[in-house]
Amino acid sequence: MTTTDDTERSGETRAAVPGGGRERLADWLDRHAQHIFIWPAVTMILIFSIFPLVASFIMALSRIRLRGGSYRVRFVWFQNFEKQLFGSEQFHFLGTFGGMSILGWVVALLVTGGIVWWVLRYLMSGPTVVGLVGRLFTWGLVLGVGWLLAATFFSGHPFGTLGTTLFYVIFGCGVQFVIGVGLAFLCSLPIKGRSFFRVVFFVPLMITPIGVGYAFRMMADTTKGPFSPAWQWLGLGDFAWAADPWAARFFIMIGDSWQWIPFIFVVMLAALESVPRDYVEAAQVDGASSWEIFKDITWPQVVPVAATVLLIRVIEAFKIVDLPNIMTAGGPGIATESMTLHALFAWRSLDLGQSAAVAYLLLFVTVVTCVSFFNLVVLRRIRA
Amino acid sequence: MKIKSLGLGVASALAMSVSAQAQDYSGVTVEILTRPGPVIAQRLVERGEEFTAMTGAEIRVTEVPFSELFQKILTDWATGTNSIDVGVFASGWATELVDGGLVEPLDDYIANDDKINVDDIAPYFREFNQKIGGQTYLITVDGDFQMIYYRQDVLEAAGLEPPKTWEDYLAVAKAVHGQDMNGDGEGDFGSCMFKKRNNQSYFAMGTIAASFVQTKGTNEGIFFNNEDMTPKVNNEAWQEAFRIYKATGEFGPPDELNHDIGDTRGLAMAGRCALVIDWGDIGPLSISEDGAAIKDKMYAAISPGSRRALNVDTGKLEDCNPTLCPNAIDGINYSPFGAFGGWAGAINAKSDDTVKQAAYDFLSYVNQAEQSNVDVTIGWTGYNPYRNSQLESTELWVKAGFSEAAAQNYLGAIKDSLNHPNMASDLKIPGAQQYTGVVLDRELARFLAGEITAEQATANIEEAWEEITEDFGRDSQKTMYNLSLGITN
Amino acid sequence: MSRTLMQRLFEPTSIRDMAIGTKVIVYSILLFWTAFVLFPIYWVLITSFKTAVDVNSGPVFLPFIDFQPSLHAWKELFVFDYEDTLKAYVNSLIIALSSTAASVLIGSMAAYALARFEYRPKFGVVLTFVLVMIAAFYAVGAYGVDWRLASASGIAVFVFLAIALGRYFKARLSNGDILFWMISQRILAPIVVVVPIYMMFQQVRLLDTHIAIILTYTVINLPIVIWLMYDFFRSIPIDLEESAQLDGATRIGVFWDIVLPLSRTGLAATTLLVMILSWNEYLLALFLSTSRAQTMPILVAAMNAGERGILWWSMSVVIIVMIIPVIVLAIILQRYISKGLLLGAVKG
Repeated sequence: MTTTDDTERSGETRAAVPGGGRERLADWLDRHAQHIFIWPAVTMILIFSIFPLVASFIMALSRIRLRGGSYRVRFVWFQNFEKQLFGSEQFHFLGTFGGMSILGWVVALLVTGGIVWWVLRYLMSGPTVVGLVGRLFTWGLVLGVGWLLAATFFSGHPFGTLGTTLFYVIFGCGVQFVIGVGLAFLCSLPIKGRSFFRVVFFVPLMITPIGVGYAFRMMADTTKGPFSPAWQWLGLGDFAWAADPWAARFFIMIGDSWQWIPFIFVVMLAALESVPRDYVEAAQVDGASSWEIFKDITWPQVVPVAATVLLIRVIEAFKIVDLPNIMTAGGPGIATESMTLHALFAWRSLDLGQSAAVAYLLLFVTVVTCVSFFNLVVLRRIRA
Repeated sequence: MKIKSLGLGVASALAMSVSAQAQDYSGVTVEILTRPGPVIAQRLVERGEEFTAMTGAEIRVTEVPFSELFQKILTDWATGTNSIDVGVFASGWATELVDGGLVEPLDDYIANDDKINVDDIAPYFREFNQKIGGQTYLITVDGDFQMIYYRQDVLEAAGLEPPKTWEDYLAVAKAVHGQDMNGDGEGDFGSCMFKKRNNQSYFAMGTIAASFVQTKGTNEGIFFNNEDMTPKVNNEAWQEAFRIYKATGEFGPPDELNHDIGDTRGLAMAGRCALVIDWGDIGPLSISEDGAAIKDKMYAAISPGSRRALNVDTGKLEDCNPTLCPNAIDGINYSPFGAFGGWAGAINAKSDDTVKQAAYDFLSYVNQAEQSNVDVTIGWTGYNPYRNSQLESTELWVKAGFSEAAAQNYLGAIKDSLNHPNMASDLKIPGAQQYTGVVLDRELARFLAGEITAEQATANIEEAWEEITEDFGRDSQKTMYNLSLGITN
Repeated sequence: MSRTLMQRLFEPTSIRDMAIGTKVIVYSILLFWTAFVLFPIYWVLITSFKTAVDVNSGPVFLPFIDFQPSLHAWKELFVFDYEDTLKAYVNSLIIALSSTAASVLIGSMAAYALARFEYRPKFGVVLTFVLVMIAAFYAVGAYGVDWRLASASGIAVFVFLAIALGRYFKARLSNGDILFWMISQRILAPIVVVVPIYMMFQQVRLLDTHIAIILTYTVINLPIVIWLMYDFFRSIPIDLEESAQLDGATRIGVFWDIVLPLSRTGLAATTLLVMILSWNEYLLALFLSTSRAQTMPILVAAMNAGERGILWWSMSVVIIVMIIPVIVLAIILQRYISKGLLLGAVKG
C-alpha cells in the first residue's frame, strides 16, 4: 500500500535469522507483518469503495445513456443536483414550498436561535480550525433541515424524500433505541426464562429485510390481513392506512423497528450484564431505588456502548429501502419514499445521473450526521 | 400444482404431435431472461422442454423480479456482457434497445419460416407490436390491451346496462357499490381499479385518457403531438381522466391506494367487484380453480368511451361530432388502450448466429398457432389472445371451460377492441419507462393522495416530459415516436 | 412495621428478588413483546401452509381448525422446482459463508494491525494518489481509454509524483484517521456504488459469478468487522503477546495462536452479525447476479408475480427456510457468545 511506503517502522525490528528458504520466508513475512496485516483490507476498500465512489461522482455530474455497446456520457456539472435542489425535482427531494405559516416562522427562528447560541458557545470555548470547519457542516445541515421542516411540515406542506428519510432515522432510531434499551434492562433483572426471552427477541434480526417487508404488508392488510377483524370491529373498516401519509410512515417504521430493536437489545443486554454486580448490590444495600441505581450506576457504565450501537443503527437506518419499496412502493404520493428508494426509482428509469446525484446527497447528509454524532456524542462520551 | 401438471400433460401430448423434422441444435444453449413465473415464464420453460426434445437446443429460462427486468437486459446488452440471448419483456421497451442497435431484426428469419403464419396475427400486434419503424424485431407471445369486465348477474339484477362511457361507469359503480356480490354477507365494491404507486396504475390511467384524447386512429397517439413532440398531456382531457380515475376510488375497496393489480384481481376472482378494468387475463382466470366465484359471470366489453373528446388546438374537451370523432359509434369515441403492449421476445444482436437461429425458432414455436392457441386459453400462463385464429371459433375456449355464451362475449370484446381503428398505442420510445413509469406514475400518485390538483399534476408532467425529451434529443424522440405509431416519412 | 399494599406490591423483600407488582409489570411487558415478535413469524409460518383461497378470503388463524393446511407451496419449491430452489440456496450458502470468513479474517487482521502497530502515512501522498486515480478514472469514463492502460499509467504517475514530491509533504495521518476512513465506508449506501461495481465486474468478465458477489460482500462488511474487532483487540492485555514474542514467536504466529483464540467471543458475535448481513443482502446481489449466482433474497422478491399477485404461500416458505442456516450458525456460535453477545466487541 502506497500510503505506508515511507512510513517509519515502529514495530520492533528483529535480527535476521539465518536458515533455509522456508525460514527466510517466515522471517521476511515477520519483518513485513505490519504491512501484510493491513494491505488486504486497504486494497479491497480502495478498489470497491473509493473507485466506485469517484466513478459515481462523475456520474452524478453527467447525463448518462446506455447505448449500443457503450455508454454515452455528457458532462453537465451540477445540473443534476440543481434539478433536485431547485429545479423540477425540488418537491420530490426537499418538499413543496408555498408560504410559511406562523408556526413555521416560530420553528425557523427557534432553530436559528439555537444554532446561533451553539456557535457563540463554541467560539468562546477555544475553537480549533478543524473543529470549526467540522462544526460548520453540522450547523449548516441542522439549520438547513430546520428551515426546510419549518417551511414544509410546520407550514402544512408535504416534505420530500429528505424529510421522510430523516423521519425514519431520527424518530425510528429513537423509538428503537428506547424500546431496545428498555427491554434489555428488563431482561437484565433477576427474572426467570431470561435465555428464552433473549433468544426470542433476537429472531427478527435473522429474517431477510425483504421478507420482513412482505410479512408486514400481510400484517397491515385491512381486507385479508390478521388484524382485519379487529379493524372492522373498531369501526375502522373504511380507514386505509395506505392512503394516509403519516399512518403509512408509521407502519413502515413499525416494521423497521420490529427488525432492528433486537440488534439494540442484544448489544445493550450484554453491556448491562457486564456491569459489575458489586456496585449495584452496594447501592441496593444503601437503599437506592431501582431507578436511581439504573440512572446513577448502570447507565453511565453502558453509555459508550449505547452511543456506538446507536451510531451503527443510524448508519444503517439511512439506507432504508426494502420496507417502503415493498409495503407501499413509496406511496401514498411520495409520502413514504426514502432517499435510497428515490435513487433506486431514478435508476430503474435508467436515469443514472439523477440516481447518482440523489445517492450523493444522501451520502452528504449521512456523513455529516454520522460524523457529527460520532464527534459530538460518541467521542465525548468515550473520553469522559 | 394440479394446474402445472395438467399443463405439462397437455404440453407433452402436443410435443408428440409435432413432427420431428426440425433442425438439429445439439449443444446450443439459449439463455432467456424474463419475469418470475408461473406467469409467462412457466410456459416458456415447458415449451422449452418440448423444443429441446425436438431440436436438442437447451432453453434456459432465468427469472428476475419484474421491476428490474428491463434494466438487467439493457445493461447486459448495452455494456457488452451478453450473457442473455433472448429477453422476453414488454414490447414497448424494445424501442430503446433497437435504438441502440442491440436487437436482431427478424424479417429475414420470418421470410424463411413457413410455420409462423404472421398474417394470422391480429393487425395491431403484427404492425405495431412486433415492428419498430417498419422492421420486425419482436415475436409476440402474449397480446395485451385493457378491457372492461362487468358482473353480468349483478348488473342484470340491478337492471343496468354495461357501461359505455366513463360517466356510465361511475354511475353503475355507484349504483351497485355496497351490494353483496359473492354471498358472504359482506358488502362488496362497485369498482376495482388498481391504484398503487410504482406498479400498474398508469396503464389504467392510459385506458381512461385514451378515450378522451385520441379520436383520429392509432396513428394519432395519446402522449405527444406528432409534429413537434410537445406533450399532449396538459389539457382538459387528461385532467378529466385523472379525476375519473380518482372518482372510481369512492366505489372501491378502502385501501385501494395500496392495491396493485394482483390485489385487484384477487378481489375480482373472489367475486367482490362489479366492474374491473384489466387485461385479457380475467377471462381465462374465471374458468380456473381460483375463479369459481365468477365463472361465467364476469363478462367483458370494449373499454368505455367518451361523448366528449380533446380539441388539440384549444386543449379543451368538446362534444363529439363527425369531424372531431370520425371513429365514434353512436356519438361515443372509443379508444381501447394497448397497455403494456404484451410480452414479446427479442433476440440479442450480438449472440452467435446459430444461437440466434435457435432462439428465433424457439420464439416462433411458442408463437405458432398450434402452440399459442392452447396457451392463451389457460389462465395461469398469462398469455392473452393475439391471433385471429384464436378468436374465430369458441371451440377451444369452450373446451377449456367457458360456457358458450361467456366465450362468445369474451372473444367478441377482444375482437371489438383489436379491430378498432382507433386503438391507442402505449408509449414506445426511448425513455418510455421514465415518461410513464416514473413521471406520470408519480404525479398520478400525488394526485390520488390529494397532494396536488389534476391541473398541477398535468402541468408537472408536461414540464418533466419536456425535460426528458430534451435530454434524449427532441428530433430523435420525435422520429421514434412517429415510427412507433407507424408514421414513416 | 406493617407494609402498605403499595409497598408490598412494589418493594422487594430481598435484594435478589422483585416485588410481586414489579414482577407482574415486567413479565407482562416481556410477554407482550414476545407476542409482538412472534406473531408475524407465526403468520408467515401458517401462510406457508395455506392455499390461495385461504389467503384471499379473509384471515384464518388456526391450522386444522380454521383451515386445512396444505403442503402445496412446499411441494412446489422442493419437489417440482427443487433445482432452482436448491441452486439459490447453495449459492447463498457459498456466498454468505465465504464472504463472512473472508471479511472476518481480513478485517481482524486490519483491526489488529491498527490496534498494535503505528501507521503515519503522509497526507499529501494520499491526496496525490486519490487525485491521480480520479484523473485515470475520468479518462476511462469520458474518453474511453482502456481501463488497464489507465490504471497502470495512473500508478506509474503516482509513484513518480510520490518520489518527486514526497519530501515536501509534512502533514501525516494517524491510525485513528485510517480507522475512521475504513469505518466510514459503511456509511456508503450500496446504491451509490452499485453501478460502478457492476461495470467493474463486467470489465473483468466476472458478472454472475460467486466470486464477484463474495468479493463485494467481503468489502461492504469489512468496516463492521474492523470496527468491532478493533475495540475488542484493544481490550486484550498486550503482555501475553509481548512475552510470546520474546520467546521467538512471529507476529503472524502471535496473531494466529494467541490473539484470535483470546478473542473468540468477539469473533463469534462479529461472525454472526456479518453472516446475517450477507445472507440477507438483496440490492447488490440483484445487480451482480443474473442466473448462475442468484441468491435466496432474490427468490423472495421473485415470488411477487406482479399482475398475478404475490404468491404469499411460496414466499412464506422461502422466508421460513431462509431463517434456518442463521439459526444453525447462532446455535453453533452460542457457546462462545453466551457470556454476552457482542459484548466487548462494541465496548468503547
